[in-house]
Amino acid sequence: MKGLGYPRVRFGSRLAFGVGLAAVLAALLIMGSGLALAQQTVVIGMLGPLSGDYATYGVSVANGVELAINEANASGKYSYRFVLRKEDTRGDQVQALNAINKLIELDRVTAIVGAVLSGETLTAGPIAQDAGVPFITPSATAPAVSEIGDYEFRNVITDDMQAAQMAEYAVKNLGLRRFAILYANNDYGLALRRAFEAGVRAHGGQVVAVESYLDGDSNFSAQLTNIAAQNPEALYIGGYYTEAAKIAQQAALQGLKVRLMGADGFDSPELINLGGAAVEGALFTSGFYNGTQDPLAAEFVRKYEAAYGSKPDMFAANAYDSARIIIEAIQAVGPNRAAVRDWIANVKDFPGVTGLTTFAENGDAVKPLYILRVENGQFVQER
Amino acid sequence: MERGAHLFGQQLINGLVTGSTYALIALGYTMVYGVLQLINFAHGEIYMVGAFTGLLLVTQANLPFPLALLLAMAITALLGVTIEFIAYRPLRRSSRLSVLISAIGMSIFVQNVALWVWGPQTRRFLPPFPVHTFTVAGLRTNTLELLTLFVALVMMLGLHLLVTRTKLGKAMRAVAQDRETAALMGINVNRTIAFTFAIGSSLAAAAGVMVGMLFNAVVPNMGVMPGLKGFVAAVLGGIGSIPGAMVGGLVLGMAEVLGVALLSSQWRDAIAFAILILVLLYRPSGLLGRRTQEKV
Repeated sequence: MKGLGYPRVRFGSRLAFGVGLAAVLAALLIMGSGLALAQQTVVIGMLGPLSGDYATYGVSVANGVELAINEANASGKYSYRFVLRKEDTRGDQVQALNAINKLIELDRVTAIVGAVLSGETLTAGPIAQDAGVPFITPSATAPAVSEIGDYEFRNVITDDMQAAQMAEYAVKNLGLRRFAILYANNDYGLALRRAFEAGVRAHGGQVVAVESYLDGDSNFSAQLTNIAAQNPEALYIGGYYTEAAKIAQQAALQGLKVRLMGADGFDSPELINLGGAAVEGALFTSGFYNGTQDPLAAEFVRKYEAAYGSKPDMFAANAYDSARIIIEAIQAVGPNRAAVRDWIANVKDFPGVTGLTTFAENGDAVKPLYILRVENGQFVQER
Repeated sequence: MERGAHLFGQQLINGLVTGSTYALIALGYTMVYGVLQLINFAHGEIYMVGAFTGLLLVTQANLPFPLALLLAMAITALLGVTIEFIAYRPLRRSSRLSVLISAIGMSIFVQNVALWVWGPQTRRFLPPFPVHTFTVAGLRTNTLELLTLFVALVMMLGLHLLVTRTKLGKAMRAVAQDRETAALMGINVNRTIAFTFAIGSSLAAAAGVMVGMLFNAVVPNMGVMPGLKGFVAAVLGGIGSIPGAMVGGLVLGMAEVLGVALLSSQWRDAIAFAILILVLLYRPSGLLGRRTQEKV
C-alpha cells in the first residue's frame, strides 16, 4: 500500500519551519543574555530517575544535592548563589539524553551531579564529556563509566572494590575458607561475582559453588540445594535486598547454615523487614552508614532527617558530598567548566560525610568502605 | 556416587514442589482454553491476587490457615468470573484476536490496580503455623513443601472428580466438545463458562497462597513468570487437556530443577521456553493432547 496506510505526506512547509526555528533561537538568545546579567548565579545540574521504578535512588540523590546547595546559599560564605536544576530520566536512556542536552544547552549548568544509574550514565556521560561539562556520578558503578573521559568523576565505591574488600575481610579477619556465590545475572551481580571469586582465591580461600538467578526470581531451591551439597561456610549473594532476603529465608528452610554476605545491594531496611531472623548476622559492604559516630556524618544525617523526614542512604550521602565538591570547586576557580574540572581532578582528602575522598587518575573516588552487620534487626558497624 | 544420588533426590523434591504449583496454574489455562479456545493471559494476575488475598486474610483478618485458603480461593474465583463477564463475554462473537488483546489488557490492568492498591514493594508472607524440617531417607523436606504437595494433590483429585463425576463437569466437557450442540441440549453455556473461570481461578489462588508462603514473598508482579510457566506447562501437556496440564506442570518443574542441577542455574528459564518451542515444533498437540484437525 502506498504511504504505508497513512495519509499522503505534505511537502513544502519548510519556510514556516524556518521562521519558527529562528523565533525559538531568538528567544533562547534573549534568555541566555538575561542569565548572564545576574552574575552571581551559578547553575548546578542534577540528572537521575525522579519517577518510575528507580525513583528512590534518584530522589535520594536529588535531596542530597539540594541539601548541599541550600546549605551553601544559607551560609553566606560563598561568592555565588547556587541554583539547582533537576532533570528526570525515569531511568530511561532516551530521557537521559534529552535531559542532559537540556541541562547543558538550556540551563547552562557549570557542573552536574549524575547520572544515577549505570546505563543512563553511559548514555548521557559522553554528551557532557563532548560539551566539556564536568559531572560527578554519585552511584553509577559499572566499570565502563570510568572510560567516558576526563570530565567524568565517580564518587561511589565500585562493585569490584566492594567484593574484593569483603573477600579479604572474610578470609583474613573471619578465617573463613569455603565460599559459595549466588549472584543475580546482571551487570551488578556479575561484577560482584568475578571480584569476590578472585578476592577469595587471592587470599587463599576456596570457592566451592557458583550459582546464578534472575532479578525478580522467587524460587532458589534448586540453586541452594546445589550449594548445600558443597558444604560452604559462607554464602556471598551478589544482588539486591529483595532477593537476598528470600534467599536467606529459603536457605534457612533448607537447613543451610552459612554466614551470609553481600554488597550495598543489601543496604535497605527492607532486607530486615523481609528477611527477619534469617538475615541475622549477615555482613555487607556499604559506602555509607547512617548510624555512624563520625561527627561530620552524624551532623549530615541529622540535617537530612530534619529536611526530608527520613534517614539518608548511601545515594544521598554520595550526592551530598559530590555537590559540596562542585560548590568548593566553583568557589575556588569561578564558574568556568574547564577550571572546575581541573580543580575536582586534583581533590585530595576532601572531608566528605562518606569519608576522606580523593579522585584517582581515572576519576574514581578512593575512600573508606564500611562493613555492616545485621544485629537484632538493626544495621551495626562491623568495621 | 552416593553423594550424587542424594543431590539428585533432593533436587527431585524441589522439582516436585515447583512443578505441582505450575500444574495448579496450568489447569486454569487449559480449562479456559478447553471451553473458549482462549489463552487467558490475565491468569497470572489472578494467581497474584489469590496470593495477596490469602496474605491479607492470614495477617490482617487472623483467620486460621485452612479457612483463609478456602476464602482466598472463593474471592479469587469471583474475580475470575468478573473478568470473564466484563472482558471476554462481550467479545464472545468477535475474532479470537480481539479476545486475546482483551486478555492482555486485563492482565496489565489487574497488575496496575494491584500496584496502586498494595504498592510495588515485596511483602513477606510468614506461614501462620510452625514450620518443621524433616529428613526422610536422607532427603530433607519441610512442612511447607509437604503442605504444598498435599494441597496440590487434593485440588487435582477434587477437580478430576468434579469433571468426571458431576453434572457440572459433564456440562464443561460438553461445552468444550461443541458449544452450539451443548447449548441445543439445554446446557446453560454462559453459566458453564463462568464456572470454568471460577474453578480455574480458585486453583490459581491456591497456588498463589502456597507459593507466597513457600518463598515468603508476595508482590504485584509475582504472577508474570509463573503465569508464563503455567502456560508453557499447559501447552506441554496438551492445551485443553486437564490430565495434560497436571503432567505438564510436573514435567516442567522437574526439567527446570534438573537443568539447574545438571547444567547451570543460568539456564533455568531458558529451559522452560526451549521446551515450549520444541513441543510446538514436534508435538503441537502436547504430551497428552489429542491431535485435532482444524475445521476449515
